[in-house]
Amino acid sequence: MRRGEAEGICPQVVTVERDHSAEMVAFEGVVTAIEDLIPNVEVVEPGLVFVPVAGAVGYYGGEGPLIERVVKEIDRVAGAGFRIGVAEGPFAAKQASINATGDPPMLLVEDDEAFLASLDISTVGREELVSTFQWLGITTLGELARLPGGTIASRFGAAGLDAHRRASGRDRDLNPRDLPIDLTVSERFSPPLEDLEQAAFVARAMAGRLVEALASFGAAPFRIVVEAEAADGTVRSRTWLSADPLDDRAIADRVRWQLRAWVDGVGAGIRGGLVALRIEPANLSGAGRQLALGEDARAAAETVRAFTETQAILGRDELLQAHPQGGREYGDRVAWHRWGEPPVSRRDPDAPWPGRIPGPSPALVPPAPQPFHIEWDGGMPTRVRLGSRWVTVRSWAGPWRRVGRWWKGEEPGDQYQIVTSAGAFLCEIRGGATWLTGIYD
Amino acid sequence: MFDRVCTRRIAGEREESGEMASELPVLRDEQGRALSAGSDTDYGLRTTDYEAQRPDWGRDLPFLGPGQVGVLAGDAGLGMTRLGLVLLSDHARAGPVAYLDVRGWLSPLAAWEVGIEPDRLVIARCRDVIRWGKAVASLLDGAAAVLAEVPTGAKDASIRKLAALARNRGTPLLLRPLDRAVPTGVAHLTLEARETSWSGAVDGHGRIERRRTLLMASGKAMRGMTRTIEMEDDGSNTLRVVSGVAAAETRSVAG
Repeated sequence: MRRGEAEGICPQVVTVERDHSAEMVAFEGVVTAIEDLIPNVEVVEPGLVFVPVAGAVGYYGGEGPLIERVVKEIDRVAGAGFRIGVAEGPFAAKQASINATGDPPMLLVEDDEAFLASLDISTVGREELVSTFQWLGITTLGELARLPGGTIASRFGAAGLDAHRRASGRDRDLNPRDLPIDLTVSERFSPPLEDLEQAAFVARAMAGRLVEALASFGAAPFRIVVEAEAADGTVRSRTWLSADPLDDRAIADRVRWQLRAWVDGVGAGIRGGLVALRIEPANLSGAGRQLALGEDARAAAETVRAFTETQAILGRDELLQAHPQGGREYGDRVAWHRWGEPPVSRRDPDAPWPGRIPGPSPALVPPAPQPFHIEWDGGMPTRVRLGSRWVTVRSWAGPWRRVGRWWKGEEPGDQYQIVTSAGAFLCEIRGGATWLTGIYD
Repeated sequence: MFDRVCTRRIAGEREESGEMASELPVLRDEQGRALSAGSDTDYGLRTTDYEAQRPDWGRDLPFLGPGQVGVLAGDAGLGMTRLGLVLLSDHARAGPVAYLDVRGWLSPLAAWEVGIEPDRLVIARCRDVIRWGKAVASLLDGAAAVLAEVPTGAKDASIRKLAALARNRGTPLLLRPLDRAVPTGVAHLTLEARETSWSGAVDGHGRIERRRTLLMASGKAMRGMTRTIEMEDDGSNTLRVVSGVAAAETRSVAG
């Protein structure tokens, strides 16, 4: 559920910023415990790991004994509350863990396609396509998987093809590309870095270099390997996986989370400071990196970088975008959301909204109505007070009665447009007081 | 999207031309030749390649090229926010444009009405003077154009630095001072609202529909002249320049 929706249902809700680094610190123990049993653990996000078990099954004598060992280790490190799913592909394995039952919850899938076929289409993870699929009568993953891949690709593009691949349980077959040169980026530090923020800053620059180098080949990594070398010679490495191509910000975030997990989590930490950092791209694909005709990738990346910096200066809630939504009041017709987050529109802007004041809209709308002074004579406004001076009213329109949400205790009000030599104002008389609700600036 | 018609007037002459000809005056040059909106003879800003990409809805509406700084002066209510959004919309085709909202009052509805796509408008809110300068500087790095309200207490030096940064980055910057003057020499173009009038509302009947605003345009963009521009705005992405040069102030060198 989006924040706006949550606040709409429960205005008293307190929003706590998600701290991925702290989550990763807590999760590091689990990852290390699994890694002691099975190599090549791939972390997707704090709380979710994919573990390729094909080799380990033979070593431990079957899936049963292997899972028994894993359960025992996780239980020892983190206690109850974990879920396990085993399947051929990562998407099916994740869905299996979500649908797992028992104590501890666990589900072993024999046939990915058969298991996925009965799941609801909303589980496919492509929000932008789900409503279209449902409108077309495709309600389960099985129904989507039965459609020809070529047809889906021509109708829905890369996103549709990705959804089809997941629904068919073939999300592992990404056909990773091999590049003729090694694009691994690395940095050595002398003296060793002892401040985590310094390391994170360097990681950001390295991520930018990596993505820029990959972009010249039209590629993007779905997986990265983060390797850190401590001053005592210890080298620690971790693989991070993503369902979507990782951009520079996502890579930098993952490196920062991982470094903090190594420093603050279980294990020896990074003794003596960080002397080398290495980011290796893996599982490269051109998916999601095909530029549109006329698209300037460099300018777009520069824009994202600049706006991210602005967000860091002002705070996440101070860099906003807005989209139209339905409503009667001018303020209600705007759905705000943070820059970088998907828009949330709660009301249909195309629906009829009887009673709303037609355009032109005031360019300035105060977040809360401001006190406004109007002098009346015989039911007609004659002067308004702007700061310390009184200005004569030239013309006016209204009143338009606004009933308000009486069931929520809102008082009715009368809206007026007041025109003076200093401009036009939208105001409302409510509860015996006059309020400024907009300036036609 | 834009439905603007532009004509110009010199010495009060009128001539029928185009669909709005019956209402609007036409520009004539010194030899009495009528000039079309797209004429090579330009009394306003110099024509650049960048400017040539602009939609053909008139060149009497001032335009800021890459790295140029504009100032929008005038009290709230005289239409300068809307005019700023119109100037910003010129650049929204090239990339996202940013509005730095010091008051926190900007309504994006007005921006959408002048033709800025919702996806192309980013609104930053900042009341703090120190962070204001940093925020404008970082927006100049990424936005196609920036319109920034100037808060009370902003220092001249900081405004000069931002103007230099805008020139360096090639990003058009519009400054909307709230209650102070912008230091001299910063603005390539200054637009100052003098008066405004609305039609449509009469003694409780109708509603406000159309605004006419009288602007004084000055600065390098005006080639040293101060021009009076009268603009008409009906809110539906139409902002028309209804007269061009009404009178040019005489400037002389004393010596």
